[in-house]
This record gives sequence, structure tokens and C-alpha cells, in this order.
Amino acid sequence: MGYIMEGVKEAFNLLLSLDREIYSIILLSIFVSFTSTIISAVIGTPIGLFLALKKFKLKKMVTRLLYTFMSLPPVVVGLFVAIIISRRGPLGHLGLLFTPSAMIIAQTLLITPIIMGITFNNAKEQGQEIRQICMTLGGNRWDTLILLIKEMRISILIAIVTGFGRAISEVGAVMLVGGNILGHTRVMTTFIAMNNSMGNYSMSIAMGTVLLVISFIVNSILYKYVVGD
Amino acid sequence: MEININGLMKDYGERTVLNIESLLFESNKLYGIIGPNGAGKSTLLRIISGLEQSTKGEILYNGCVLNKPILKHITFMSQRHYLLKTTVFNNIAYPLTLRKYHKKIIENMVDEIMMDLQLFELKDQLAISLSGGEAQKVALARALIFEPQLLLLDEPTANIDPNSIKLIEKLILKRNKEKKGTTLMITHNMEQARRLCDEVVFIENGKLKVQGKEKQVLV
Repeated sequence: MGYIMEGVKEAFNLLLSLDREIYSIILLSIFVSFTSTIISAVIGTPIGLFLALKKFKLKKMVTRLLYTFMSLPPVVVGLFVAIIISRRGPLGHLGLLFTPSAMIIAQTLLITPIIMGITFNNAKEQGQEIRQICMTLGGNRWDTLILLIKEMRISILIAIVTGFGRAISEVGAVMLVGGNILGHTRVMTTFIAMNNSMGNYSMSIAMGTVLLVISFIVNSILYKYVVGD
Repeated sequence: MEININGLMKDYGERTVLNIESLLFESNKLYGIIGPNGAGKSTLLRIISGLEQSTKGEILYNGCVLNKPILKHITFMSQRHYLLKTTVFNNIAYPLTLRKYHKKIIENMVDEIMMDLQLFELKDQLAISLSGGEAQKVALARALIFEPQLLLLDEPTANIDPNSIKLIEKLILKRNKEKKGTTLMITHNMEQARRLCDEVVFIENGKLKVQGKEKQVLV
């Protein structure tokens, strides 16, 4: 028990010491996760709404595939992206392997189905009613899309925050495509995994604490928005 | 708006829920649609409103098939009305906002209809906090405010207090007489059909049984 308390104490000392390496890791984590979340939201939200509201052949099959992709193992996504962008892969000439861009691609692939799936589920229940209201009051397709986004803003926001939570806490994919290179692709989760395997618990606890604090801040903002609404 | 229905059929799988050979709703009249639960009344209104497609048959609106310009003049208030997550004022103003009315005109029109339905005190209240009866009145005000040529109402006074029923009936009648629009209203309340409707249509098992003056049908 003692070494845990010691670890927590050291963690706070580390955070308060304003260590450059630690803060560059935190900032890179936020940058990679934030960017992939924005890309995923832009792709996933409209497709999720479309899937929920449109009737088309193979809809059931597409829905099943979507649910499968929502629980994709990060290591599989990492492996897939690594193969595609490795030197011998189809996109090898872009030189993306072991760069933050590769990490953004992997996280985007991982969380787009999550944002799409959550949006799809919420829109499936609420969306038809909203669409009908807009249609029976004289709105066109564009009006319907605007109204859907307005009315479902909380659900969409929750989907995006869930995606961000998955991205920032993910380790397998970023480890494979980023390589955990110090000062270049090392992020909070790969840092924790590495220090844990080396027995540096204080470092792992410090970074774990930061992850928790970030999660708390993001969820507090969301809670304030939801309650305010 | 005149509605002319010919050979209308609606199937859900193997089950035919609506089968109406011929039915005419004349312009500027108020029709009551009555019949037991599951008779196909709501399906009929949903098809007329364009929310559902029929399996067979055609509906002509002033002689034309349904298109985007006609849709702009039709509204449908369903039993499960959805109110937007905003204030009562914004809910009622929404159809006018869609039609890009001037802000001042919107204010005047919304204020007037809120007065008629005794909703004025709720103007800035969030729609989500309203009681069932108040929400129903807001949904009706929203449907009436843009003066549609065809108003489709699915039990507009179900589950609300007698005072609110009076207000709603008064407004429906006023709108029908002054603004000259056709109204089709589903109701289970025979007294209400007597009070309001020019004609009554009785539907059972998806088929039209009787259509005529309320005195003939409701005997």
C-alpha cells in the first residue's frame, strides 16, 4: 500500500514541477485525440443521421456491420493502419508510419463507428418524429437537417465526447502505428504502459491522474451544457 | 383545398389496413373522421399528409398529385406531437420562421394565437416543462399559425380538460370559417363531431362505411 501512496505523492510533485517532457506528452495526446475526434464527428454524425432516417436495401446488414465496427479491437485497427502505411504498403510512399498523422488516422478509424453508431441509435428513435414535424410544417431537406442537429445536439455531443474518451484512453493502435518515440509520438497511454512495464509506478500514476483530470474536465463541460439546456 | 381519393389501398405486409374506393373532401369544409380503434383513420390522414405512401390508388389535391408546393400548404397534428426543445414562443413561431416571415409579423401572429388559446403567460417557458394539455394547445397553435389550406388533426382534444377543449374547438371553427381551409379531424367524441363538423366520415376495417351530414351519419 505504501508504494501506491508514494507513487501518488511523486505524481503530484512531477505535475507541479512543470517537466517539459511530461507536458509535451500531454499536449500531443490532446492534439492527436482532439483532431481525430473532430474528423470522426464530421464524418460520423451526418452518416449516422442518414442511416437512421433513410430506408434502403441492405440497411439491416449495414447496421450489423456498424455495430461490429463499434467494438473494433484497437490492436486490429493499429495493425491494419500499420500495414497500409508501412514502407511496403499501398500508402508507404507517404512516409506516415511512426508519425502523429498515423496515430490520428488509426484513432479516426477506431472512433468514427462509435460516433456514427451512437448518433444512429439516438436518431433512429427521435429523428423520425423531428423529420415529420419539419415536413408537416413546410420545411425542406435542408431545414430538416438543421432542425435535426439542433434538436439532437445533446445526443450528438454525448456521441462526440464518448468518441474523445475512447481516443484519449486508447493504447494499442497508437503504440503500433506511432511506436512510442520520445518527443515525437509518445502519448499519455503509451507512456503509462511503458513506465508500468519498467516498474516506474509514480510516473504511471502521474499520467493516469492527468488522464482522469482531462476526462473530468471534458465531462464537466458536457454536464454543464446538458444541465444548462 | 379539395381532396379527391380514388382506389386507395394500404397494406402492411399481408394485411390491408385501408381500402377506400372513392372519397371526396370538398374545399373549406370541416370533416369529422370517426370509427373504432384500428379502423385506419390515422393511416388515412398520414397518407393524405404525405408522411406515408399508399400501396395503390391516387389522391388529388385541387386536381393535382402531391408535390412540394402543395406540401407547404398542408399540416398534420398527430396524437404524439413533438415539441421542439425551445420556448413556447419559438415552437409556435417555427413554421413562420421556415417561411421567412418578418420578425415583427411573427411576433404579432404568435401573440394573437397565444391569446386565443390562453397560452400567453407561457410564452417564454420551455416547451419541455408544459403539461399534456398545454403541450397539445402549443402543437395546435403551431399547426394553425401559418394558415394551412389543409389541416389534418388526429384527436386534437384527447386527454385535455373541458375548458381547453372549448378553446381549441373555438379556434378550429374560427379558422375554418374565417381562413377558408379544409379540415379533416379524427375524433372519438360524437358530441364534438356534432358541434364542429359539416360532414362526418365513418371508417371501419379500413373501409368507408358512410359519409354525409353529421345528422345522417350520427343517428
